[in-house]
Amino acid sequence: MTASASAGEIAAFVDEPGDTRDGERVERAMSAFVKDFGMLAAVYLETCVHCGMCADACHFYEVTKEAKYTPILKVEPFKQAYKREYGPFAPVYRLLNLTPKVTFDELERWQELLYESCNVCGRCSLVCPMGIDIAGLIAEARHGMAAAGLVPEELLPRTDADRSVGIDFAAALGELAATHKIEIPLDKPQADIVCMLFLVDLQKYPKSVVAIARIMNHLRLSWTFSSRALAADNLDFVSGQRDAERRVNRKLVDATIAVGAQSLILPECGHAYEAMRWEAANDYGKTLPFKILHISEFLAEQVQAGALVLRAVGKSATFHDPCQVSRRGGAIDAPRVVLAALGLDVKEMSPTKGTNWCCGGGGGVAAIARADDLRHKVFRLKMAQIEDTGAELAVTSCSGCRRTFDDGQAHFHWDQTMGSLVELVADNLAAVPA
Amino acid sequence: MIPITRVGATLDELLAQRGVSRRSFLKFCTAMASMMALPPSAVPAFAQALAGARRPSVIWLSFQECTGCAESLMRSDATTLEQLIFNLVSLDYLDLLQAASGTAAEDARARAMAESYGKYLLLVDGSVSTADGGVYSTAGGKSNHDVLMDAAKGAAAVIAVGTCAAFGGIPKAAPNPTGAVGVSELIKDKPVINISGCPPVPVVLTGVLAQYLAFGRIPDLDALGRPKAFFGDTIHDRCYRRPFYDEGKFAKTFDDEGARNGWCLYELGCKGPTTYNSCATLKWNAGTSFPIQSGHGCLGCSEPDFWDAGSFYNPIPVGAWGSAATVAAAGAAGAALGAGAALLARRHQVEVEKKS
Amino acid sequence: MTLLSFARGIALEVATMVFVLGIAWRLVGILLLRARRDHSAARRHDAWKGLMMTATRSWPKKEFIGASGFVEAISYTWHLALFATILLYAPHVVLLQNVVEAFLPFPVVGRILFYWPTLPAGMIFFLASLSSGLLLIAFAHRLINPVKRLISNFDDYLSWLLTLAPLITGMAAYMHVGGPYQTVLAVHILSVEALMIWFPFGKLMHLFTMFAVRGVTGVLFVRKGAAT
Repeated sequence: MTASASAGEIAAFVDEPGDTRDGERVERAMSAFVKDFGMLAAVYLETCVHCGMCADACHFYEVTKEAKYTPILKVEPFKQAYKREYGPFAPVYRLLNLTPKVTFDELERWQELLYESCNVCGRCSLVCPMGIDIAGLIAEARHGMAAAGLVPEELLPRTDADRSVGIDFAAALGELAATHKIEIPLDKPQADIVCMLFLVDLQKYPKSVVAIARIMNHLRLSWTFSSRALAADNLDFVSGQRDAERRVNRKLVDATIAVGAQSLILPECGHAYEAMRWEAANDYGKTLPFKILHISEFLAEQVQAGALVLRAVGKSATFHDPCQVSRRGGAIDAPRVVLAALGLDVKEMSPTKGTNWCCGGGGGVAAIARADDLRHKVFRLKMAQIEDTGAELAVTSCSGCRRTFDDGQAHFHWDQTMGSLVELVADNLAAVPA
Repeated sequence: MIPITRVGATLDELLAQRGVSRRSFLKFCTAMASMMALPPSAVPAFAQALAGARRPSVIWLSFQECTGCAESLMRSDATTLEQLIFNLVSLDYLDLLQAASGTAAEDARARAMAESYGKYLLLVDGSVSTADGGVYSTAGGKSNHDVLMDAAKGAAAVIAVGTCAAFGGIPKAAPNPTGAVGVSELIKDKPVINISGCPPVPVVLTGVLAQYLAFGRIPDLDALGRPKAFFGDTIHDRCYRRPFYDEGKFAKTFDDEGARNGWCLYELGCKGPTTYNSCATLKWNAGTSFPIQSGHGCLGCSEPDFWDAGSFYNPIPVGAWGSAATVAAAGAAGAALGAGAALLARRHQVEVEKKS
Repeated sequence: MTLLSFARGIALEVATMVFVLGIAWRLVGILLLRARRDHSAARRHDAWKGLMMTATRSWPKKEFIGASGFVEAISYTWHLALFATILLYAPHVVLLQNVVEAFLPFPVVGRILFYWPTLPAGMIFFLASLSSGLLLIAFAHRLINPVKRLISNFDDYLSWLLTLAPLITGMAAYMHVGGPYQTVLAVHILSVEALMIWFPFGKLMHLFTMFAVRGVTGVLFVRKGAAT
């Protein structure tokens, strides 16, 4: 493994270049890792038997055959720190110096492994014979890296705009409403359902924002966007900045409660689903007073209840499973219910559903310029998968995946465009029989 | 008992005197040679050498013993030729059988030792007491230890008959109050042949003596000084019940179905696998039976410390455990250490949280 | 005291004490760490299905068989052959019964707990040689395969050696090669004791932790409806 960059370049990647001594930064990394640490992470770190099977499941290893991409290796500095500081034999480890203290240099070298070559997709967690949730450990390791100021620059919000403060949502949504001649409620004082969107979608995929409104209006539900809980983006979750992530989650929860909503519907997103659906309640400290649904789950529910009827699209389609929603999040069958309701001939790719290959862009990888070559290598896997199905349409339910596919399509001059499930539904709404 | 003839007569002279045919003698040699794993081609040479052998003087000393070894060898149903072999040697001292006693016997011994100095065979049965100057076993005011060291000086070789003489045997069992030891622990400058067993198989002694007489040298010995010809295999390797062991058919209790079917006695404590001796082939009482054949596991009596090696009825894999308490204490100690480590880790976590 | 009586006596007792102490230390030290409560709404309340991952994770998904099937097959085979050698050989069963009898107040428990049919000695020898051979192949793989070579450490190598030694010495004892039987048997018992002493401190502890880990991950994943 080569050192990732020169000192000057490293300075650009970190929050506080030069101010904090390296030893202190390692301390902060370890402290952050420890704060969320518990018995589960401990027993995971204790149980790895170095079988190397996790590498076989990882797309980065698959396309490069470089041993350094072995998933469990990504948490090695933290495993050493655990053994030295928190494990049952920690005093013995320190006394006999059985494992050296983690150095800043080591953490620097690991930045590439934890950010540029990992989507936290969870395939490794599926294959581990010991049952270790390696992806979960990697997410916790990112907390440490963030505290040490070792987050890749692209994942750090640079301006307040990235944290969605100060954006004129009313104007943006108003413009969309006018252009597409559709009502888009914002900040209704009370509604049954709060919907969210992605900030990036406002620019890149405005049609998907409109699609949400079209569907919700069609279903005649009591719903609203809320400007305090509009953006589902949680870059801090991806970068590992736990405290900031917690603040964002709390803000979204509070805003939803303020509207008195019974359901919060997350847009076509990936990591935001993991952050809100599975983490937010713990940040809140108790069970949330509302349901959280991914929009594909919501649509499936509506289809199964008979409330949502769709026109038949007489085409074949294949579905790309977004890792955080599908494999990690559990909404595996919901999209397929919707695809079936759309009268599509679903040709599953191989592997599919829980074991599907990651698009390679999640977890912040798509944002990191240095990772582009690697990500494109991974993209070949997806292209081959989709082409092998012979399906006419390719559909997914995650904006992040969609952006990765668009970038890959451009890079490889591919003829297949990844579509959005929500947009497909919005384009094929049928009247409910009376 | 046939009277002792003069020292120096050869065996064939003696046999002629007794009216034993050459044919019988050759039969004996063939049997003896095959028992010592000599090839058939060696028999003529063996017979010739044995025929021309001169009767050496044999001094037999008995120390801390139960007389079982001597009894085993003196069985009246031993074959005639074996008795003759004992007459081949000039048994100049054996307090079990000699008519003399007291100073007369001791004087006879001293005379025999002086006459054959450097050439006599010293046979010993019973262990030697060494604690407190060896006072726990004395004869005629002299400790066994002193008698042994004195007698060994002029011996050509020493044969330790029985496990007590070879390894210390039963007197050596814990706590060994008399400081009993085997002969080879005391005699370092003379060849010592250990014919262990409690008691030893009679024909083993015969065979060793025959070889010594015929070839003038002691037989090949194993690491414990026992003749390889008779102690080269374990009981287990020659046991007729071995197929049952290999098949996994074991008697679980005495007189259960397995026991009555003659299955392997491993689980009832048989020490056959770790015991080197010829009981499984030569058997006892003129080939009548041996312990396993009679339904009891081998005690391992030809091995050192067989009495202290754990119960006769505990199978070999069984550990000689101290007590459950030590292990339980270890478990508790481990749990305490683990709890302490976890406590420290949690405290550190709380500190870290407070700081941030 | 001969080597054999040492191996069966004080050495066995010390090894057992270290074994028990180490395991208790390590397990308690982990179990008393903080456990996080999860307030998120479960998708599915089906703890039983989650616990099933304890067993189902033993069989690789067909999507992964191509890549790691070879390694997994070798690993399973040598593990199973090793356990069969340990548990289905009469002298070993006798030892296990005795261990239980020594440490439980009711000796009959040993007979009941460890009362199962055993395999003939020849079959055990075959299984032991199979396990040893595959262990050697697995070791070669660990040295040659770039992934394993990169992630392997002292723990991996020592654990391998201490697992292989009892197999080799046991086979030597059975075949009566390598010296007088009592010595080879003593070395076999000592090699097991060395394994017992190392066991709590290295990766061999996965024997105790892996099923719990699989179960917990299974429960957490099924709770989310996540793929298991």
